Amino acid sequence: MKKILPTSNAIIAVISGLLVLLGYFFPGVFGNIQSVLIGWAIILAAFALLLGIYNLALVHWKKAGAGGTNGINSIVLLVSLGITIIAASLSGPTGSLSVWIFNNFQVPVEISLLAVLAVVLVYAAARLLTRRPKWSTILFLVTVLIVLLGSVPLFFLGEVAPLVALRGWVTQVPAVAGGRGLLLGVALGTVATGIRILMGVDRPYGG
Amino acid sequence: MEQVLNSIGNYLGLLFILLCLGLILYYFFSDGNQPKINLRDIQAFRHLRREVDLAVEAGKRLHISLGRGSINELQGGAAFIGLTILDRSARAASNSDRPPMATAGDGVLTILSQDTLQSTYRSLGTEQRYDPTNARMTGLNPLAYAAGAMPIIHDEYVSANFFTGHLGTEIALLTEAGERSGSLTVAGSDSLHAQAVLFTTSDEPLLGEELYAAGAYLGAGPAHIASLRSQDLLRWVLIGAIVIGAIIKLLGFLN
Repeated sequence: MKKILPTSNAIIAVISGLLVLLGYFFPGVFGNIQSVLIGWAIILAAFALLLGIYNLALVHWKKAGAGGTNGINSIVLLVSLGITIIAASLSGPTGSLSVWIFNNFQVPVEISLLAVLAVVLVYAAARLLTRRPKWSTILFLVTVLIVLLGSVPLFFLGEVAPLVALRGWVTQVPAVAGGRGLLLGVALGTVATGIRILMGVDRPYGG
Repeated sequence: MEQVLNSIGNYLGLLFILLCLGLILYYFFSDGNQPKINLRDIQAFRHLRREVDLAVEAGKRLHISLGRGSINELQGGAAFIGLTILDRSARAASNSDRPPMATAGDGVLTILSQDTLQSTYRSLGTEQRYDPTNARMTGLNPLAYAAGAMPIIHDEYVSANFFTGHLGTEIALLTEAGERSGSLTVAGSDSLHAQAVLFTTSDEPLLGEELYAAGAYLGAGPAHIASLRSQDLLRWVLIGAIVIGAIIKLLGFLN
């Protein structure tokens, strides 16, 4: 059975993948079966989400049992998870209780993390010259400075026209060109990854 | 020319995929006769391989972050690379006291990472080492995912972090956690915002298509090398097409 399952998994995955792919190019022939398969995938993804939450709870249940500072954090997480599930069950996902929890707990915590993120990025940029002393680093930092100075009115000077023009050129010409180059590389990589899975070479489903 | 392009427009994507498939198959079978294919040096993968060895010796573990991209969408491609890296790391660190750990911000990715770990250990004949809590879902939105993964970097004896998959600017919080805990951070993403942040914050950033070369550099098999070579060739084809298109546009043949 252990030898048969990987092969059958691979056959199901490859055939399903091919049918979904062909559905994009021949919607008249494969469109219906593509919709059915994607519908099944969405239902499975919802169950996978529940299993993911169970996994999260299991990990923190074990940590809570181990005790210590991390154990207290895990207890807080488990209690919060329980309260949120009860609140969402009683009032619905968009009900008053759920919205109250979202507005008073999740939003402030995420805003705090975003503030930390801003500080981390500034600190990392300042540290970059010691971490990677190369010409590309200097170019990166000079470009950041130009874009920042060109984006906001400066004290006593207001908007400096040449800086604004330079910022516009940097963001619209070299940045867009570089970005598109990177995206082309990402697209080629994604296509190659998909083809390897369709060939059955990569089997991320335990095959 | 435009009429020709329009007429085959619907099938252009399919032709491109068939071209990719043909090239991968061509390189796969033609490279089989060659003793060794030389790949250009990418420092990040060299350091990662070294770190895997050091982690085994030091009794530490690797952390592979799969990001939060759903496999139902385009972002899933980068996460699949993470699963390949997880497989290779689990094999390389099979003797280690602390097996690699994977984190994800999506339920399906969590299950796939558990499945990858289980099948890897099964193929090595060490299925008893499999622990489902070594593949974790830490949060479902960007900041929740980062907040859930940061304690793992700090508290789970991690010697190196490999961030791969769809992540946004929140990756800076994770790389900062790696920096503070003294662990190596190798990171790549399909997101341009994340790549810009990684250039600043990561020890070893992987830009553009470099992330997708991971399988070839970590010894995942000849198919990965074949697909890498086909990507290289197709990139030159695209560069040529863009340059020719720009020249044609410059000369005024296309409006």
